[in-house]
Amino acid sequence: MAGRAIQQGVKQVKPILSTNHAEAKRRVLNLYKAWYRHVPYVVKDFDVPITVKQGREKLRELFMKNKHVTDIRTIDLLVIKGQMDLVETAGIWKQRPHIMMYFQDTVNPRPPGFLEKFYEGHDP
Amino acid sequence: MASRLCRAIRPVANFARKQPTVRPSNPLLKKQMKDFGTYIAECLPKFVQRVDVTYTDELEIMIHPDGVVPVLTFLKDHTNAQFLSIADIAGVDVPTREYRFEIVYNLLSLRYNTRVRVKTYTDELTPVDSACEVYAGANWYEREIWDMYGVFFANHPDLRRILTDYGFEGHPFRKDFPLSGYVEVRYDDEVKRCVVEPIELTQEFRKFEYSTPWETFPTYRKLEAGEEEVKPESTEPKK
Repeated sequence: MAGRAIQQGVKQVKPILSTNHAEAKRRVLNLYKAWYRHVPYVVKDFDVPITVKQGREKLRELFMKNKHVTDIRTIDLLVIKGQMDLVETAGIWKQRPHIMMYFQDTVNPRPPGFLEKFYEGHDP
Repeated sequence: MASRLCRAIRPVANFARKQPTVRPSNPLLKKQMKDFGTYIAECLPKFVQRVDVTYTDELEIMIHPDGVVPVLTFLKDHTNAQFLSIADIAGVDVPTREYRFEIVYNLLSLRYNTRVRVKTYTDELTPVDSACEVYAGANWYEREIWDMYGVFFANHPDLRRILTDYGFEGHPFRKDFPLSGYVEVRYDDEVKRCVVEPIELTQEFRKFEYSTPWETFPTYRKLEAGEEEVKPESTEPKK
């Protein structure tokens, strides 16, 4: 009875690319590998003040930012967007500022507490 | 002289003069559209869910998202339709619906000088089949919708961003995308390049009050507390 109720509850959806979790995971890993191999070329092509190691750390950080995502279609969409991003980077359609956007090196973190805000001169 | 001229012109403009603010409707055209819509619905019962003729005499065909390619192919290749030209593909975002996005295909038949609007629906994660194999001109329109709404088009030959900057995140035409955006771009003199930073507004986003501050209808003025309304007794009975 419960099983049937669950079956009715699960909506039949149209897959974007992958039909199961293993396939989605495969795609994510492939994208990660492609990016990982491309990082040295990024550093060389765009002449950014970043080492290869820093680039790879940032890559890992950006991938880990979405590690909570479990929905297959969401994973697929993120992979597609990452793939498009890679193409834009590899084709040097992007420019230096676009690469440095990942690192956010000019952004000052917002002061956390009341006193810090006061020292900065922010409104409370 | 002037009156004679007017008399000469009047009969021509007579039809429009009767109800100047009402759009004249053409019953014959409306009937033709209705018949054509019914015909399409009968030909493609699997995909067509509803056919409407709007009050401005435009034919709207609502279809299931699976039927984009078959319906568009039918409308393009059928002898009595020949909608060979795609005028536009538009998107609509209505967040309250289960399928929040509407995709609207505007087609033009040069042969019969008519237009038709094909509507379908989707949500953020359901892919829609690309119309590129039917209309080559759909390529950029679909890229635009992908960029602005984030609707994924399956089997699109070259789906990538078209309007936004590289590295831009989000889809600006979604209703949940704020008007001010999430980031701002400026030139930084220290690092000698443009930098993208989270937007920081010095004040809250303001909603402006457009109603005039002057009193437009003094007759309907609401009295403030303590004031007393003075009226001549003859016109209005006392409460």
